[in-house]
Amino acid sequence: MSDSITGTQVPRAAPATVQERVVETRGLTKHYGKTIVAVDGLELNVNRGEVYGFLGPNGAGKTTTLRMLLGLIRPTAGTARVVGAEPGSPASLMKVGAIVETPAFYPYLTGYDNLRLLAIYCGVPLKRVDSTLEEVELTPRARHKFSTYSMGMKQRLGVAAALLKEPELLILDEPTNGLDPQGMADVRNLIISLGKGNRTVLVSSHLLGEVEQMCTRIGVIRKGKLVAEGTIDELRGAATLTVRAAPADKAREVLEKGSGAENVKVIADGSFSLKVDLRHTAEINRQLVEAGVAVTELHANERSLEDIFIELTGTEGGL
Amino acid sequence: MLAAFRGEMFKVVRRPAVWVSIGMLLLLALLIGYALLWFVFTHPPAGSSQGLPPGTSLSDNKVALYPANLVKETLGMWGDLGGVFALILGVLFQGSEFGWGTIKTLYTQRSGRLVMLFGKLAALAVMVLVMVVALFAVDAAASLFVATIDGRDTAFPAADVIAKGIGACFLIYGFWALLGICLATLFRQSAMAIGLGLAYGLVVERLVFGLLAGVGGNTINEIQQWFPIANTTYLVQSFGIVSIRGAGSGAKPFADATHALVMLAVYVAAFTAITAWFSRTRDVTS
Repeated sequence: MSDSITGTQVPRAAPATVQERVVETRGLTKHYGKTIVAVDGLELNVNRGEVYGFLGPNGAGKTTTLRMLLGLIRPTAGTARVVGAEPGSPASLMKVGAIVETPAFYPYLTGYDNLRLLAIYCGVPLKRVDSTLEEVELTPRARHKFSTYSMGMKQRLGVAAALLKEPELLILDEPTNGLDPQGMADVRNLIISLGKGNRTVLVSSHLLGEVEQMCTRIGVIRKGKLVAEGTIDELRGAATLTVRAAPADKAREVLEKGSGAENVKVIADGSFSLKVDLRHTAEINRQLVEAGVAVTELHANERSLEDIFIELTGTEGGL
Repeated sequence: MLAAFRGEMFKVVRRPAVWVSIGMLLLLALLIGYALLWFVFTHPPAGSSQGLPPGTSLSDNKVALYPANLVKETLGMWGDLGGVFALILGVLFQGSEFGWGTIKTLYTQRSGRLVMLFGKLAALAVMVLVMVVALFAVDAAASLFVATIDGRDTAFPAADVIAKGIGACFLIYGFWALLGICLATLFRQSAMAIGLGLAYGLVVERLVFGLLAGVGGNTINEIQQWFPIANTTYLVQSFGIVSIRGAGSGAKPFADATHALVMLAVYVAAFTAITAWFSRTRDVTS
């Protein structure tokens, strides 16, 4: 490792090298009547290969936006391109798999037959049905009627349906809604695995922990407007590390050498505040100790996603 | 559109409610149209000849149940009433999609909304045809059975007459089914669509024109000829009614079969256009 420990934090997952836009909206707006503005001039950019978290409190306009991206709702103003085509057009739909709110299937058909039906609609080979059911671990219940499924199984069938076309883009609206903790964890892990490789996942949620675990980049929507967009680390801003050590002069010398003078600030109580990648905390400690400095406190100051969310939306996350 | 049609057929043949609707019509056709009438005509209650033309009895009506009158009897009995089941079929095809929320599943597959709709309409046409052909088949079997046990002539009408009868019934039921799918699309649900469809078909047009006919005379008939239920009646009447002992050839319908065919075709086209327009332009929020 280099002696120099400087700069802001590295994003936890690197975005796609070539920033090919899979979803792009410009001034996307939806009014209901003259008084309700569900989505207001939204500028959303989702790049290929990322798991994009669309975060916002209930009623912020997430579902309306996703419905517009699928062509289910027509925008009042603005434009959108989804996988290079107009939302809802056959060219776009063929490359998009989606769950909007609760997965909707035919209750009198089995899970297997529901997928067979979608395979017929989409012109997908029937053998994909079996492999997709296996992928979501629903094979043992596949021959049972959809009406007998638990919420978790319905959700998994929804994911299977979304995957059936082997889509380039997955749009998942609150995919863990109504699930028990185990079901939530299962769906979360599934989404993380689906997001690996070149596939793009756009997942909406109002659960911060969920988004933090799954997403490489997030957009925060409030009252129909996108109020922030970036990686979680970008939104957090640079973290700081509080260092209390003696002798203070020697400590300062070591810290400035390692992190750069511009990143070291002396706090009133004699401790130091460092703008630093928190992954280098142990290295900083080692350098101080090797220089004969006694470290009495090393304390990371990192804004939580909840702090950011409350700051941006004025609401408590997950409520 | 072939994929959309295949998908719709996959769904409907597996849907119990569709077969219940068709089955109910066939059961009623058998029980009321033949079994009950044959029993009443064979064992007429005392005094049942009162009010009938001189020299005739209730049992003379049995001629209507024999194969020679298959088309007239089937259309006369079920041309209008059976439309109710076609209406339900049409509503089931579309209303349930809103109820289950599957409309959004449909619209987020590969094809555009209109392609999905026309696939659905094609499947509906197939099921209406199945309903009509099954109705004629059941009635044919029943009439043959009745004629055999009564020792009467078992000859059916000419094939072209039966084909015309099936065609007329298909158009009438097609009108009802499209009314159902149109109402279900407008109201985005089944209950309201069935309720309003039945109210219009069985009550509103008949009641309103029935009441007005008493005061308006021929003027009311002139107006009524542009309304759908009147035209289903003209079309049924164009096949004539069963003649019993040479009596009752029936009054000539106010409008002829061609008028009825054109009007019903116009209504079918109009309901299709309205359904397509609403399907294409409306937001899906369910």
